[in-house]
Amino acid sequence: MVRAIADRAFLPSKNLLEQVGDMMILTGKTVMSALRPPYPYGGEFVNQFLFALRLCWFPLVISMVAVDYGAPGLQAGNFLVLFGAIDRLGGFFVLATIREFAPAVTAIIVAGVAGTAITADLGARKIREELDALQVLGVDPVKNLVVPRFLALMILTGLFDMFAIIAGLSGGVITSLKFHAPLGEFFATLLTNASTTDLWGSVVKCTMFGAIVAIVCCYKGMTASGGAEGVGRAVNQAVVIATTGVFAFNYVFTQTLLATHPEISVIK
Amino acid sequence: MQRYLVAPRDWIASLGDIAKFAARDFGEVFGLRVFRFFGEALRQAGVLILGSTMVIWSLAFILGLQCGIEGAYFNRSVGAPAYAGVFSAWCDLREIMPYAFGYMMSAKVGTGLVAEIGAMRITDEIDALEVMGISSMTFLCATRLLASFMVLPFMYLAAVGAGFFASYLAVVQQIGEVSSGGFFLIFWMFQNPPDLLYSLIKGMAMATVIVIVGTYYGYTAGGGPVGVGTATAKSMVLNTVMVHLVGMLGTQIFWGANPRAPIGG
Repeated sequence: MVRAIADRAFLPSKNLLEQVGDMMILTGKTVMSALRPPYPYGGEFVNQFLFALRLCWFPLVISMVAVDYGAPGLQAGNFLVLFGAIDRLGGFFVLATIREFAPAVTAIIVAGVAGTAITADLGARKIREELDALQVLGVDPVKNLVVPRFLALMILTGLFDMFAIIAGLSGGVITSLKFHAPLGEFFATLLTNASTTDLWGSVVKCTMFGAIVAIVCCYKGMTASGGAEGVGRAVNQAVVIATTGVFAFNYVFTQTLLATHPEISVIK
Repeated sequence: MQRYLVAPRDWIASLGDIAKFAARDFGEVFGLRVFRFFGEALRQAGVLILGSTMVIWSLAFILGLQCGIEGAYFNRSVGAPAYAGVFSAWCDLREIMPYAFGYMMSAKVGTGLVAEIGAMRITDEIDALEVMGISSMTFLCATRLLASFMVLPFMYLAAVGAGFFASYLAVVQQIGEVSSGGFFLIFWMFQNPPDLLYSLIKGMAMATVIVIVGTYYGYTAGGGPVGVGTATAKSMVLNTVMVHLVGMLGTQIFWGANPRAPIGG
């Protein structure tokens, strides 16, 4: 009886911890085999990079404009209009877009669009035993499949952050126009308050998000099992773990950045 | 020129298919035909509660912490740390909780539905249902929609509670520049029941879209085990975009013209 209850409570968490450990091991292996010669993954890297770029750019732009028009734009804009200080909207967009929404939405889009595609692809190969066949042929799946996807997703997510910031700021521009505020004030307060620390913090954060998404999705794809339902279930678990992991990391990173760089939260 | 028109035409075609599917699904639920399988709907509600609640609440909690620290640091920088409650109240209730709910619903429930129903489609179980004289649309899709209508409002309200609790922890216990009484005075001052209702409508609109999209992609999956994986990935793409669009429209409709703040006359 006690045993059954204990099993029910502890087995899922034990399973989860084991998986996290496996993902850490996969991260280590990936980084090691990315650095150690030979480097056969150039072509695959370019393919994956272009593939993810083609899939992600349109959802990213739409989502980013929508989010930034709604959340920081309308809500903060309404609040500022009450005080007659709509010119400060640009300053708020440093916090909202550059620090928070751009990396977070980029990570969600990359996890949901490119990450799921990677898991479905690798999972299908695993189910059809292609990964085992590769190993028999003496081709290392980590070096030839995981490393290019890891690098491509990591670099792409970091670069996408810039485009997300631009799309988000255009959402802010639309909000300013909606409140009939001159755009000069928006950009003036934006550029006065923006700092280099904010920008590199955002890009580093976003790159790390890409790494988390890539590792989780590759791991789940490579360990898919159980026929037709297995691939679907792998994709399901991959997005859940990637989303939770990304936001948990986001909290730790933002807290550390804000606490160690007090100058970025000074309003100028 | 033709080459560039293929992709948009495909999107519009599949959007039309999804709209038709959604109309049929709603017809089954609101035409009360689904109550023939009420037991199955209850079972699906149980699956939803046991499988997805903790994950959704934990994401709401993490994002509530995030709102809390951003609010605390932002209000410190404008020289009014005691007013961190304003930021938390608006950030949590109006924007971030619907998004957190939508993200986790599409990740956990939406893709789960595609994987489950898609596997049934691949293994011809759906055709078997039809052969037995059971309407697969009612039995598989409408029961799941009804189950989500029964369970999700309560799950959403509890998720908002988890977010509020996390913001309180972050602002009062972690950063600690405002007393708990001062925080809650401002926090409750800047929100009222209609705000909660609007937020709930936003969250439920996202959830309905996600369940419809999930069941559609599962129901129309094809192409072997690989097809299920591809359909799951595709449903996630549409869901993430739709969550953001519904969030924006909700904000525009409910708070766009009226900030609903206790400021000014």
